[in-house]
Order: sequence, then structure tokens, then C-alpha cells
Amino acid sequence: MGSLARAYGRPLAALIIGITVLWILALIVVPLGAMVEQSLWWKESAGETSLTIDRLYNDIATLQLDRDSATDTEKQAALDAEIVAKQAQATELEASEKNPRKIYGLANFTRMSELHIYIFVRTIFYALLVTLLALVVCYPLAYAVALASGPRKTVVLTVALIVPYAINELLRVYAWLMILDYRGVINGVLGWLGVVDLDNRGWIPFLENPSAVFVAMIYTYVLFMVFPMVNTLETLDRNQIEAARDLGATSWRIHRRVIIPHAKPGIAVGCIMTFMLSAGSYSVPQIMTRGQGGDWFSQLVYRQFYESNNWNMGSAYAVSLLVVCTLFILLMMRLFGVGLRDIAK
Amino acid sequence: MSAASTESRGAQLVLNIYVGLFVLYLFLPLAVMSAAAFNAYDYPSVTQWQGFTLKWFVALAHDQRLLQGLWNSLLVALGVIVVSIPAGLCGALILTRLQAKTGTALYSVLVSPVLTPGIILGISSLIFWRRFGVPGGLFVAVMAQSSFIASYAMLLFLARLQRQDRTQEEAALDLGAGHFMVFRRITLPFLAPTAFTAAVVAFLQSFENYNTTVFAIGGEWTLVTEIASRLRFGLSPVINVVGVIFVALTVAAAVTYVLLNSRKKQA
Amino acid sequence: MRGKDVRLDKVAIRFGGTTAVQPTDLAIEAGEFFSILGPSGCGKTTLLRTISGFIEPSDGRVLIGGEDMAGKGPNERPTALIFQNLALFPLMSVAENVAFGLEARGVRKRQRLARAEELLALVALEGYGGKMPSDLSGGQRQRVAIARALAVEPSVLLLDEPLSALDLKLRQHMRAELRAIQKRVGITFIYITHDQGEALTMSDRVAVMSRGRIEQVASADSIYADPATPFVSTFVGEQNVFPGTVVSANANEAVVETPVGKVSGRPKGALAPGAPVLVMVRPERLALDGRRENSFPARLAERHLEGASVNLVFEAKERRILAVVPNGPAARDLPEEMTLSFGRSDAMVYPEGPLANG
Repeated sequence: MGSLARAYGRPLAALIIGITVLWILALIVVPLGAMVEQSLWWKESAGETSLTIDRLYNDIATLQLDRDSATDTEKQAALDAEIVAKQAQATELEASEKNPRKIYGLANFTRMSELHIYIFVRTIFYALLVTLLALVVCYPLAYAVALASGPRKTVVLTVALIVPYAINELLRVYAWLMILDYRGVINGVLGWLGVVDLDNRGWIPFLENPSAVFVAMIYTYVLFMVFPMVNTLETLDRNQIEAARDLGATSWRIHRRVIIPHAKPGIAVGCIMTFMLSAGSYSVPQIMTRGQGGDWFSQLVYRQFYESNNWNMGSAYAVSLLVVCTLFILLMMRLFGVGLRDIAK
Repeated sequence: MSAASTESRGAQLVLNIYVGLFVLYLFLPLAVMSAAAFNAYDYPSVTQWQGFTLKWFVALAHDQRLLQGLWNSLLVALGVIVVSIPAGLCGALILTRLQAKTGTALYSVLVSPVLTPGIILGISSLIFWRRFGVPGGLFVAVMAQSSFIASYAMLLFLARLQRQDRTQEEAALDLGAGHFMVFRRITLPFLAPTAFTAAVVAFLQSFENYNTTVFAIGGEWTLVTEIASRLRFGLSPVINVVGVIFVALTVAAAVTYVLLNSRKKQA
Repeated sequence: MRGKDVRLDKVAIRFGGTTAVQPTDLAIEAGEFFSILGPSGCGKTTLLRTISGFIEPSDGRVLIGGEDMAGKGPNERPTALIFQNLALFPLMSVAENVAFGLEARGVRKRQRLARAEELLALVALEGYGGKMPSDLSGGQRQRVAIARALAVEPSVLLLDEPLSALDLKLRQHMRAELRAIQKRVGITFIYITHDQGEALTMSDRVAVMSRGRIEQVASADSIYADPATPFVSTFVGEQNVFPGTVVSANANEAVVETPVGKVSGRPKGALAPGAPVLVMVRPERLALDGRRENSFPARLAERHLEGASVNLVFEAKERRILAVVPNGPAARDLPEEMTLSFGRSDAMVYPEGPLANG
């Protein structure tokens, strides 16, 4: 902080620090904290409380009977005390029935239904699959772009990749919706070939299969894998490849020993971005299922907020997703031996 | 030296075909979507071609909700620029002056929004601002988007500041300039081109954003959230028209960029 | 413009646990061209930045013109610093660069640009005001930096190796030019360099610095002829070094047992019999005959013709010994086995201490 004040003077340094602190607090840390806090409590439901009250009154009635039939005074006194205690408890609960209590705990996480857990796991699995497939598809591509001969070719390839990348993801998903729709391009072609009968709704229902989301997702996020890899591969000294080839290494060995180690930070960043985007994607499943299916975890989260109006449960779902994404980032950083500073290009 | 010399001819051919197919894979769906904008058929389609028309463009021009969405998108983007450029600048200024250890900790906090799923940012902003009685809407959308767009801006400023010659600020100070004058005459002019770039990036990121915005926007809508909710219900070629405009603008921007760059290289 | 004197009063500078500058007293006179010479890392730049106000001394005081500078930032001191990389403002024209200090002082635009033009004339750059720094050559940029610093009418100009980026020819030219400008404006120049040639040719006085300590302050001539310590002796110019032990010593003469035999020389400091010492002889002081007081046999190993002089490398008792003699008949056709000698006044005897080359 001292060097900041020395460079820009106290008032400016204070302003700079103030704005940064405000950013951290109001936009990053406290909202995240609020979400975590929200996930850790719930309002006790009125139904449960009234059930408990009913049970208490039942107990009191039974105790009263016991007391009336009891003969020795000692036992009567003990039962009296118990009745008074139960009465007080009931009165307290009756008050809270009108104003339900906030209860802190992990129930929002543990109460996740089996179906939702299944969807959660499937989302993570698909996201991993998207990441892996994108990695396999993009590696040769990034290699070709980064080591392309001539500046002209580089420019053409870069533009060819940047244009689809820059177009809104919704529109990219929409394009696939048109292709896979009941009367979409594929069914249209198949109908023209006589394979399916469109007039009698004999189309193939691609959209009803969860893999439709998968196909569109790869298309939407594949380029997030390409650019980080191109960025690191571009810094590779080609003489290294030449030298390795000169020493008699096979192509496979050159990739394994020279190129892939160099591309590691790019691969890590690409994987992190692709996984994070697909695991947390709301746009792709929402459009591909046209809001009908509940295939993707992000859709469950949205429904908790905007349909069930259960923000506590929704927050718990969101926190779960965040935890998985954080674990994935840490895993990738460990696996590829890169620091956070390498990650931001 | 070229890739051709590092690969055998056969391998090079396979690689070229692969790249060609991939580019085709990227562009064909966009071409399908764009073509449907000019089809007279009521449902977006290229297989049921009913003749060329521009009527969907006219329909878009009269679509009040989409136009309002466009206006809202512009407002949000403007708000995001106003919030995230100063935040990103200040964060970068601090980070360049910090010791390695504290620096890494602060850096981690400041870039974390970039690595957080967009819906999480939307949700946490929604919850946070409701506690102050601010419901989801354009303001919350600005705040939610700024949380990660400011990080992008910061990364741009950081890269620029790493190339800064610190002695210039010292020289100005030594010549008798006050701290404020040093900042205004030396630091800011040096950062100005980056601020412009960051503003453009912030605008595009904000304008295109869906996953964060959809949670934070509440009952309001931007162009993108409106398109998304249209896609849920009746599909209309009007959306394809929006797509065509997006594609055309992007291609135009890319071509301009390439031309400007090649001219700069010639000069 | 008037120069002011600069006085360091027990100035010490520490960064964390390491001491960059040992407690130092130094008096630089008003209007003097003063150089601080030392190898990189010796603390000379730290000292300069302390005078200019970028670093506050950990101990002691800096006085400029008798005034204590404590608590005054670089923008409040009557000094101007010329940076090693010049630090011209690349986004401003040459004239704006030169006028920047006046802008900071609130001088009106017309006036300050007029003044900038005058200063550019002073450094022989009339008409260059409209150009950008990137359009100028290295030497021109150098002069812009000087003009920019002079514009604020400093009493003391501080120069941090400003010539190091230039090629040899230009560097030699700029030395003369700097000296001329200093004479013209009459203010105090404090010049930092690791290049002894620069320090010796330009300065009125030179301070030699090593490991955060000033070893000697003297005129260029006495630094070379009468170095105070083994470090100064070996850092400035070449020396033949003979380690040995004192046999006998008084104020005027010391006799030392060395690998090449018993030699006598001028003592530099108090010497007791048996103490380890270093005997130093300049290469040009060695004679190629046995006629001086101290003589010893040597074998000629290499001969390098330098032009006006010849460098002869001898070996004696497995030591390399350098002799420099004027080119001429006496320096040709030398026999392999010879006797070398040097006079008592040509040898200096120092108590053992660190040398410049480690």
C-alpha cells in the first residue's frame, strides 16, 4: 500500500483502494456470502409445527388422565409439573406458528431428491464429456492454427474461428435447434430421401433425447477450448519441433514430449473454461428442451428461484454447483501444474 | 519455416482437411439460421422454402418488446462499462504495486468471478440486492455482470501496466508534478487505449450475456433474454432476422479489423 | 541558474535487513561536476535516489543549499534527475516534454513553450519541438532529457548513467557536451557511473564507492595516482598486485617479502612487521631493465600491440605481470628471459583488503 501512496499520493491511493474494496465487497465476496448463508437456513414449515402442537396437546390430555387417576401426592406433583412444561412449550410453538422460525443447518443440501441428485451427477458427467470431447477435437485444430504457415493463413483461420465465437451463444444454440427440430434440417433431408414420413409426424424426435443438449453444447463451447490452446502454442519455438524431428523422434513422440508439455497451461485453461461453461450452462438446455425437459442442473436451480420460489433450496443447489466447479479448477491446476496467474491469459 | 516443413505432406493434407471440415461445422448451422430469415414460410425453416422475403425484417422493426429489449441491453451495457472499467483499473493498479504473496491472494479473489459459472453470479447478486430491498431488474443485472466483466477489464489493464515504464511517473514527479498531475498526464494517457479496448470488450460481454442476466433480470428483459424466452414458445423467423444482423455485424467488424491491421503493418 | 551544495550527514539506507548504503558523510560543492563511480550494486544509484527524494534515508540527513530535505518529496526538492533510460514521455512532443516541469508549476502555455524553445536551443535542438521523442536519435533524446531537466531551473542536476545506452563514439561526444553544458549553466552536477573513463574525463572530483561505502573522494588525478584503498587502486586503471608480508616499515618506506623477492614501496596506512599486505604497481611503471630499486626475473609470455603502446604479459613465479611500454625500437625483439624493475615510489603497499575484481 505504501508504494501505491508513493506513486499516486495519498488521496488517489485511498480512492483506488476504496474502489477496489467496494468491488470485492459489493460485487464478489458479500453476494457470494449471502448466497451461501441463504443456502444454510430454511423457514420451519407451518404444517410441521402444528403437528407438533397437536402432539403436545395429546400428551397433555394423557398426562391429565394419569394425574386424575394418580393417588399419591408426590406423583401428582410430578405430573403437574410435566403438564405445565408441556403447556409452555405448546404456547411457544403456537406463537412461532404464525411467524415461522429460521432454522440453520445443512438440510437444503441433504434434502435434495434422488431425481435431482441424478440430474446433478448427470450434468457433471456430461460437462466432463463435453470438455474431453472438445479437447480431443480442438487439439489438432489449435496445432494447425498456431503453426500455420504464412501470416495470411493465420489471419484467415483466426477470423474463421472468431466470427462464430463472437456470435451470441443463444443464436448458436438456436441454429442447432433448427437443425434437430421435428421439421428441422435433418428430418427435412430424411423426409426428402423418404426415410421418414413428415406428413404423418413420423419424424425422428432428436430434441427429446438428452444428447441433443450435448450436441449443441459442444458446438457452443468448443471454441473456448481452442483459443487458450492457440495462445500457448503460438509461443512454441518451432525450432524445438525441428530439432526433435532431426533427432529422429516420431510425430507421436514430438507431440507427447515437446508440444503437449508446452501447451499445458492452455489446455488447463481451456478445460476449466469449457467445463465451467457447460456445467453451469442455462441457455443451451433451456433452448434445446424448449423449457419442457428438466435435464440440466441449472434448470433445476432456475425453477427453485422462479417457480417454486424456494430461494434457500435454490441457493443450496447453486452452492453445490460452485463447489464442484471449484474442485474441478483445483484439480486441473494440480494436474497440469499451473498457477492461477497462468490461467488468466 | 512453416508447419509444412514440420509435418509430412500426407499429414499436412489430413490436417488441412480436418481444419476445413471444422470451419464448415462452425459455419453451416449459422448459414442455415441466416437463410431461414429470408424464407416466406411462417415457421423458421430452410427445407420448406416458400420464396424469398424481407417481411421478417419489417416485422422486427415493429416488434416493440425486442426493441425495448435492445434499449435495455444498451442501458445495461453502459452501466457495466461505468462500473467495471474503474473497478478493473483500480484493481490492476493495486496488483502491480503489491508484493508477490499478498498479490497472489488478491489476484485470486479478483479473477475468481471469471472462473465462476455465470448463473452463480446472477443468483448471488439477486440474493444480495434483495436484502437491500432491490428486486431483480436492470440494476441488479448491471451489478451481476460487472462482477466478472470488471475482472476481464482488470486483466487487460494488468497486461498493459506490465509494459509500463515506471520511471516515467518518477520523472514527472521529479520535475515537480503533483501526484494528481502525474496520474492525469502520464498514467491515464498511457492506459487510455486499453481503457477503450476494455470498454468495447465490456460492452460486447454485457450485450451478449445470458446465463448471468437471466437470473438477475427479474421481470425486466434484455434483447438476449427476450430472444431466449421467444425460443421457448412459438418460434418465429423474426429471431432469425436478429441472427442475420448479429452475423453481419460480426463479419463486418472482423473484416474491418483485419483490414486495419494489414494497413498498419504496411505503414 | 545557481548551483547549490549538497551535504550528506551520516546518511545510511537500509532495505529490510540489508544495508544498501553504510553511514556516509559527503560534501559536494556548489557548481561542481561530481561523479560517483562504482561497480553495479555498490549503492550509488540508491544514494542518488536518496538525494533526489525517491528514497528517505534510514538514518542521517540530506542537506541541499544548507536546507534539510527530510520529508520533502522529489517534486519539492531543487533537484532534477536524468534517468538511465531517460524516461521521456512518449505521448508528448519534444516541446511538451521540455515544458512539463513548467506546466507543473502553473506557467502559462505560451510562456512555457517559449522557454522550451530556448532550452532546446541551449542543447542544439532548435526546431525539434514539434517532433515526438520516438522520431529522435539516441543522442538527440539525451539532449531532450537534459533540456527537460534544466527547464525547472534545478540547483542540482542528478544524472544516473545517462550515457550507458549510447554507442562508444556518441558516448565520447556526449561526455564533452555534458561538461560544456555544465560549464555554461554553472549548476551542481552529480553524475553516477560505473565507467571510470566517464568519471575521470568529466569530473572535478570523483567519489569511488564499493559495497555501500565511499572509499575515496578526490580529484580524478589523485584517484589514479594516489588511490586510498586496494579497491580504488584496482577499480580505477590496471594494477599488478603482489601479496606479501611486512618485513619492516616506517612512515616513508615499507619493505615487504613477496613471491618475487623482497621489495620496498610507499606505505598506505599503518603497517606492522608480519602484517599481510598488497603491493601494487601500475603497468606503465614497470621498467624492462634491472635499474630501479626493486628488480626480479620474468619470462615474456605474450606481446599485444595496441598502437601507441605495447602490452607485454610476463610470468614470474607463476604470476601474470602486465607491463605497458611506449611503442618504439625498445619494445621490439625482446628476449624471452628478462629482468623487470620498479622504483620505490612506484609501488604502493596497502594493508590487505578487498579488490575490485573479487
